[in-house]
Amino acid sequence: MKDKKRLVAGILIFGSLWGFSEVIIGSTLSDFGLPSGALMTGFFAMFFLLISRLTFRQSGMQLGMGLIAGTLRMFNPLMGCHICSAIAIMAEAMVFEIIWRYLSFDFEKHKNLTIQVSLGIFIVYSLYVSGYIITQILTPVVDGTGFYLGNLIAILPKILSNGLLPAFIGGAITPAIVILSKINLTIKDRIYYPTTLFTSAFCWIAVVGSWLMVG
Amino acid sequence: MSTGKEKIIPILAITVLLIGSFSTFYVHANKTVAEKDTITINNQKFTIQELFESVEVKTIGLDEGDISGLALDKLIIFSNVNCPSCHKYTIIAEDSYQKTVGWEDMKKGIITEFKRTYFEERAHAFWIYNVVEIEVI
Repeated sequence: MKDKKRLVAGILIFGSLWGFSEVIIGSTLSDFGLPSGALMTGFFAMFFLLISRLTFRQSGMQLGMGLIAGTLRMFNPLMGCHICSAIAIMAEAMVFEIIWRYLSFDFEKHKNLTIQVSLGIFIVYSLYVSGYIITQILTPVVDGTGFYLGNLIAILPKILSNGLLPAFIGGAITPAIVILSKINLTIKDRIYYPTTLFTSAFCWIAVVGSWLMVG
Repeated sequence: MSTGKEKIIPILAITVLLIGSFSTFYVHANKTVAEKDTITINNQKFTIQELFESVEVKTIGLDEGDISGLALDKLIIFSNVNCPSCHKYTIIAEDSYQKTVGWEDMKKGIITEFKRTYFEERAHAFWIYNVVEIEVI
């Protein structure tokens, strides 16, 4: 029961922080003309997904985080494609769950750097490409115009090509995330829950509040 | 001792890197070099200036504010498409990004002098930059 409570709090805080970073940092990168999708998936999505999985070791947690982050992304007070990004975030979380189910690795036993880098490259490339493809399919469906396969086929080489940058980022940061996850940080319940709730509430109030003011 | 996963993970990584590399090569090899100020509509080439002199300009309201450009429905009529409401329209960008919309959407869409399309009440995924062609299908 206590573990479940901690897990729910973990989903809430990691999902909120992921969504918050997508809204604030993602939109800012985009404004500067940088490849925000690639950078956000390579750095932030991978960081939040992997660190939470290595810390909590619970399947389903990352999907929950993706739902929270995606929902928060819908309230982006800054500009950009809200529905596309929300779908991509949720898809990335779902794909991470699927990949980890088959490729989960105990980094306590296996310290091989090649494996860690390779896993980072493969996971992030898969997240980026599948997130992009799924959003290309679902956005027109949700938006009501309908999906046209030709539209996807035409852009597929570009999607597969654009996946290289986040893949390299994923390969570079995965060993660092693995090291970070090994830090034994024990936080007492009386600090853990209030901190989790306060931080999550801050993320939501900041984003939704700004969205309401702009809207 | 090497496990199955330890062998397969580097192979998967190399595979996705190869897919990405070949795709990058393909994208660059097939890049459309569009003439700067022209756009092809219904297989006819027009200059942006010519279109702005001939087609109605309208302003639409978006979540990022109001924006003006050529009315896409009027553009289609100008390019002599028979029965405009009978067709779908694929808007194609220089980088091959494309979206297909119906006539009702064309009535709510514009294209700016910078060759960007915008649609009222549609996701930003339909905001296409560097449009090179509007294909009638």
